[in-house]
Amino acid sequence: MLVPFQWLKEFIDITDHAQEVARRLTMAGLEVDALVKHMDGDIVMEVNVTPNRPDCLSIIGIARELSAIYKIPYRFPEHSVAASAGELGLNVDILDTNLCHRYAGRVIRGLKVEARRTPEWMQNRLQRCGIRSINNVVDATNYVLLELGHPLHAFDLQRLKGSNIRVGTPEGIKGQWAMASIETLDGVEREISGDDLLIWDAEDPVAIAGVMGGLDTEVNNSTVDIFIESAHFHPPSIRRTSKRLGLKTESSYRFERGTDIKMLKKALDRATFLIREMAGGVICGKVDIYPKNYRPAEIEVRCEKINKLLGLALSSQEIVSCLKGLGFEIKDAPDKLSDRLIIKTPAYRRDVEREADVIEEVARIYGYDKISASLPMATLSIDKQKEGDKRRSVKDEISGSLLKSGFTEAINYSFMGIQDIDLLGIGADDSRRAGLIQIMNPLRVEDSFMKTTIIPSLIKNLVHNVLHGSRELRLFEISKVFIGNGSSRLPEEREHVAAIYYKERVKSLYRDDTDDFYIVKGVAEAVFNNLKIYDYSFRRSSEAYLHPGRSADIFIGNDKIGYLGAISPAVLGSLNIKRHKASPVVVEIDIESVISSITEEIKYKPMPRFPCIERDTAIVVDSSLESSMVIKWLKLYPSELIEDVYIFDLYYGKNIPEGKKGIAFNVRYRASDRTLRDDEIDELHSLLVDYVIGKTGGELRQ
Amino acid sequence: MTKDLKRVFLEELRSVKSMTDLSHLRVKYLGRKGIITLELRSLSSISPADRPAAGKKITSIKQFIEAEFAVVESILKREELQRELQANCIDVTLSGKFVPFGRQHPISRMLSEITDIFVTMGFGIEEGPEVESDYYNFESLNIPKDHPARDMQDTFYINDDMVLRTHTSPVQVRVMEKARPPLMIIVPGKVYRRDADITHTPMFHQIEGLMVDRGITFSNLKGVLEAFLYHLFGPDTPVRFRPSFFPFTEPSAEVDIGCILCGGDGCNVCKGSGWVEILGAGMVNPVVFENVGYDTEEFSGFAFGMGVERIAMLKYSIDDIRLFFENDIRFLRQF
Repeated sequence: MLVPFQWLKEFIDITDHAQEVARRLTMAGLEVDALVKHMDGDIVMEVNVTPNRPDCLSIIGIARELSAIYKIPYRFPEHSVAASAGELGLNVDILDTNLCHRYAGRVIRGLKVEARRTPEWMQNRLQRCGIRSINNVVDATNYVLLELGHPLHAFDLQRLKGSNIRVGTPEGIKGQWAMASIETLDGVEREISGDDLLIWDAEDPVAIAGVMGGLDTEVNNSTVDIFIESAHFHPPSIRRTSKRLGLKTESSYRFERGTDIKMLKKALDRATFLIREMAGGVICGKVDIYPKNYRPAEIEVRCEKINKLLGLALSSQEIVSCLKGLGFEIKDAPDKLSDRLIIKTPAYRRDVEREADVIEEVARIYGYDKISASLPMATLSIDKQKEGDKRRSVKDEISGSLLKSGFTEAINYSFMGIQDIDLLGIGADDSRRAGLIQIMNPLRVEDSFMKTTIIPSLIKNLVHNVLHGSRELRLFEISKVFIGNGSSRLPEEREHVAAIYYKERVKSLYRDDTDDFYIVKGVAEAVFNNLKIYDYSFRRSSEAYLHPGRSADIFIGNDKIGYLGAISPAVLGSLNIKRHKASPVVVEIDIESVISSITEEIKYKPMPRFPCIERDTAIVVDSSLESSMVIKWLKLYPSELIEDVYIFDLYYGKNIPEGKKGIAFNVRYRASDRTLRDDEIDELHSLLVDYVIGKTGGELRQ
Repeated sequence: MTKDLKRVFLEELRSVKSMTDLSHLRVKYLGRKGIITLELRSLSSISPADRPAAGKKITSIKQFIEAEFAVVESILKREELQRELQANCIDVTLSGKFVPFGRQHPISRMLSEITDIFVTMGFGIEEGPEVESDYYNFESLNIPKDHPARDMQDTFYINDDMVLRTHTSPVQVRVMEKARPPLMIIVPGKVYRRDADITHTPMFHQIEGLMVDRGITFSNLKGVLEAFLYHLFGPDTPVRFRPSFFPFTEPSAEVDIGCILCGGDGCNVCKGSGWVEILGAGMVNPVVFENVGYDTEEFSGFAFGMGVERIAMLKYSIDDIRLFFENDIRFLRQF
């Protein structure tokens, strides 16, 4: 709401300068966003009026608010409307009293409508408030809209067919399923739904109630007689219509927030007065259909409750004075000694409905800044650990592991597009495609769905960074994925962690030829080990977008909880970093599964008291045999003396036949109750080697 | 003779430059056919009367020579070690082998910093769904359909009854439906609004707070939030509370801090006012309590919410919110 300071001062005698007035308004809940100074010295305040305060969408409304703040009176503009001469000559009827609560109007005949004849001072004010001058009649109605906050509409009386005004919906006028159409003032032909409120003449719709008038009955240079409408409409109905048509006007903005049903008549008279002043004519009769008189709600308020909620100790006089200043009527309490007050709110403050609303009014006018700050007395409760606390600590552990491994955290939007799912070659039955949740009104078609996997975002981040010169990139993200279940229930939301690793093969001072796959796998293992999860395993993966020879599904126990691998060259080929020959490795893990695998108990195991004996052996096996099989058989061998096994070398080529590979492993033996003898271990180890060779079909390497 | 022997030995010893020289000299004097060995052997040809004296003399010379050898040997060894170390010298000015380090996203950092302050005060952390029903996101928070308050938040719709949550406030209702007061919770999380420009992204982060108990006052709301803001921005930060409107709180407040960029003199960030909005807050509207079945006479409480990106932008002087979601490593590395 734009408020020219000079105009405001017509209604309230304020001595403070605009800046101070702006501060006082801001501190009372009407935030002044800006002060704009004009050439003539006038200052326009840009007031940010919250949706609950339509009463402040006018100059008089701001003056009224200032009157409560400064505790000084305000006044209305003066006008006198001569007694009606002649008949109205118009039949007015409200067909839907639920949507139209009051309908008033006046007729002025024989006036002279002229563009550019509006007095300069009025044009200036309109312009400063963001309204273009049209002609003297329309300008007068707009002026009153700004001044008193009540929208009005003027019709060309001679174009209203059948001397008839009817207020109703297409269904109400023409029966069920009826629709209507009307060409509005902006020259657009609009389809109107059956339950939108319209103003009709004897035959056709002539205005969309509270939103915009019809072009056909527009007041223009040829108009001689006019009918001025001043009405009160049901706010949600106006909002529905305005939203449905995508048509927002100064009028609909006020009607949908709620107008002052009592101001309606004053606004009508004020506009009539101004029009006759500016355009001449004779005022002929009036109409005011007001089926059900507005009766303000009575709110019972307890002074004690006010003080208790705000942490204040105001006397009831102080409270009453705050409320009276706001125009609230205080009825005598049923019992003069009690602290109860019965309050009647003015018609323009329909937002005040309950005791809590009144408390806010008292606090606002008293001043939030005068309420002292104090810390609450705590009630301690030994609650079970909050679910969020546990999740947070697991997420912190995971991100801690990744940060320590050199991965930087990324945060991407939760959106994805069908092109991302296509890129990854995810099939129709996969929940990552089948469970996509679609957004009805996305900002971009590429962002039409909620993420079902984090990988596409990380690939985009990779492309961005490589194109901006990154030669090595380690990124991770922890975020939810959304899996729909095809029903009207909320989708399943699962926290995931994903990471991407990329390193350009460049000349380097220090040699490190570890395969990228194993770097990322090591990081994944570190994540699990850090959470004390040890029963994880990796099996060859069939993820479509991963390199089939360099990818693995990740299991905890028998549950697949993620995958990792090099992105397939086919996918990389379609990204615009082809020339960088990137071969990034990605990993994605479902954190929910990880959380449920965490055992919180920690039990100390004593350190071994006796020394161990180690043996190294190399065997030659088929090159297709996965090393995990060797480990598996070594571990399955029935001996309690085997403490640990690991593979320390893997080689091909020289001295190894084609299609074979050498695997060297180390076995550590230990007994818990004695020192082992070399000869017994020699014997055990050779049995173990024979066993593994037998199981793997390999042979001892000479 | 012995005098000469010592003198000659010392002279020869002086010319020893290496362990090889040293071992040659050792052989010359102490070897099987060495001068000293021969001298000792020749004792047998000396008259028995003179033998002890001569023997003593030659033995003392031998001891002298051995001692000298030991000294020189240790010196030579030290020199040799030095040479060896010299040979193993590397260029210490070459850069070290790169150890990668990861950085937390500035928003995560900010989220942790803020939640930690509240956790210290005794608040517990709660979470809730990001795809939310219209009921929890709006209706239960006193934002009915066809109410202009819905304009305050441009909403992404999944269908007529399902939205991307526009704020973290629905978690208030979800938690209150399950638990009885006293309640002290904060809710960090992602929220969505259909908006995109230099200060708005369609997804951003909020932290919601809720405290419900007997006798909680507006004064307490001020106390807790001031304590928080002093913690986050420093104890001298000016803080002001002014009335505002949120359908789910009554009274409602907007909390401003003195602009940390211009110190209150007025700049672009604070639009010349010297103040920047940092929090929305208020006393829980009794309508919300009624929706979750709390007795409004027994309990009262306050709620607050803040945008994490906005706070991070202020703290780190970032002028474009979109930077947070571009994930440019050159940006992320700075935090």
